[in-house]
Amino acid sequence: MRNAEVVARRIALAALLAAGTAAAAEAQRAEWTDVVYVPGRWAGGKLVSRKTADPLTDSLALVMRVDYFSAPPKWRAEIRRTADGQTMGSPDILIGEGTRAVVVTALGATPLEQHVLGQDPLVRAAVVFDRNGRAPGPAAGRLVERAPDGSVGRVLFRRSVKNPSFADALLDPGARSGGRNLLASGIAAVGDQRQASVVATAGARGVDRVKTPGGDVPVTPDSVAIRRMEAFKVGAVSLEDFMRTGGLGPYAARSDSTGRQP
Amino acid sequence: MSRLRRLGAALGAAACLAAGAATDAAAQGLLDRLRQAANVARTLLPISTAKEIEIGRGIAATIAGRYPVSTDTALTRYVNLVGLTVASQDPRGDIDYHFAVLETPTVNAFAAPGGYIFVTRGALGLMENEAELAGVLAHEVGHVNRKHVINQIRKSDTMREVRDQLDLQGAVLDRVVGTGANALFTGLSRGDEMEADSLGLEYASAAGYDPGGLAAFVARLNRHAGEGPVSEFFATHPRPDERVDRLNAIAQREHLVGGADLPERFRREVTGGR
Repeated sequence: MRNAEVVARRIALAALLAAGTAAAAEAQRAEWTDVVYVPGRWAGGKLVSRKTADPLTDSLALVMRVDYFSAPPKWRAEIRRTADGQTMGSPDILIGEGTRAVVVTALGATPLEQHVLGQDPLVRAAVVFDRNGRAPGPAAGRLVERAPDGSVGRVLFRRSVKNPSFADALLDPGARSGGRNLLASGIAAVGDQRQASVVATAGARGVDRVKTPGGDVPVTPDSVAIRRMEAFKVGAVSLEDFMRTGGLGPYAARSDSTGRQP
Repeated sequence: MSRLRRLGAALGAAACLAAGAATDAAAQGLLDRLRQAANVARTLLPISTAKEIEIGRGIAATIAGRYPVSTDTALTRYVNLVGLTVASQDPRGDIDYHFAVLETPTVNAFAAPGGYIFVTRGALGLMENEAELAGVLAHEVGHVNRKHVINQIRKSDTMREVRDQLDLQGAVLDRVVGTGANALFTGLSRGDEMEADSLGLEYASAAGYDPGGLAAFVARLNRHAGEGPVSEFFATHPRPDERVDRLNAIAQREHLVGGADLPERFRREVTGGR
């Protein structure tokens, strides 16, 4: 009887440990998105960089969005770059284990070091994992990474998914087969699948109701008037003439160069 | 022994309850901090100039839907010339300003993000010179410079579903535009208005206008308090006497005196010389 009790206790303990391990493994799974900015702005399709040490700078240019899926030590990063700060391209997919990473393409998996993406400092910065496959930084919020000279390098806006629900196979492109065709499962981007709640709709604007001090009033937005407003130009010569005849701007009578009277 | 065992069990249960309560309190505190952090992160979400203009275009269309935009080319040209003169003092180089007149007797002016600025026919009718118009338009340029409406949008619940500015399109963008339009029509914060006053004073004076233009206009509005066309202005702006005192104090402190007020040109362009 006493032996049976001991056995039962051991079984219960083993079950508890197993359940704990499973829960811990589940808890380790993580899914998050980093929206990556660098100091500067987009101008005519070109990124005009700006150097600043101010971590709260608002002059930021969007450069990429990265969707991460992690079950340490394995991880997956789907990197979408932008060339204009407005639209995102197709994702580059990197799958890793610890510090090792491969780029998955339709042609196969290439170690990051041997792929052209490995030369891109923004991509290298986006896939920094330790040997246990963990990424640095908090689970959510604004993260500022500095360059070696102390200036702001990257600014990340991180959001985590509460209940990660991705398939483990997505972290292992070779798991289903060694065949090239089956790599397709690895290169199918999953990041977009969870965007359903905010996917853009046509956004056609009909009658809106706007709040005013006198209560809500119906308004039909007039976009044509705004296009006319944008198209209305007065010209630099007219403006110059307007300032000159009014004694304004550079033609203002001033007692000093600041425009302030002593 | 049995009593000791019962006492031990009771103490254990109390300890468990206390630990549970402490854990609940700690968890609640953590949740509160996380919520605060999420709110802060949302207010820091960068919105590019291009997206700011896109939002502003939508808000401007809503303003133009409420009050028709004037098709008087000569008047629009004049308001643009005065507006561009003061906007040339705005250090933001990434915005093209556009000015228009709204055909309504209501006395007001609006600035949508991205540089879309409106002044009503009713407001023009209460002005006496170009310096007053310059002061009002410069105040609106100040709102654009400080991104007051964009910041209101960032703080709003609408942004809860926005992960980054790429989400700001379609239906989400429409809701953001609605939030911005509501903020404009119901009035920005007192702090935002005061900041726009300070910047407007600075821009108008630096452009060569009499720095007292805005204060003179606001003081005149105060004399029309209680009249229908100015009621919305009073409902959406800080008290005029307070604004006038503050504007005069700033002008005095910064030694801003002199400048052009150009009443004849204003009358010629706005009322056809009447």
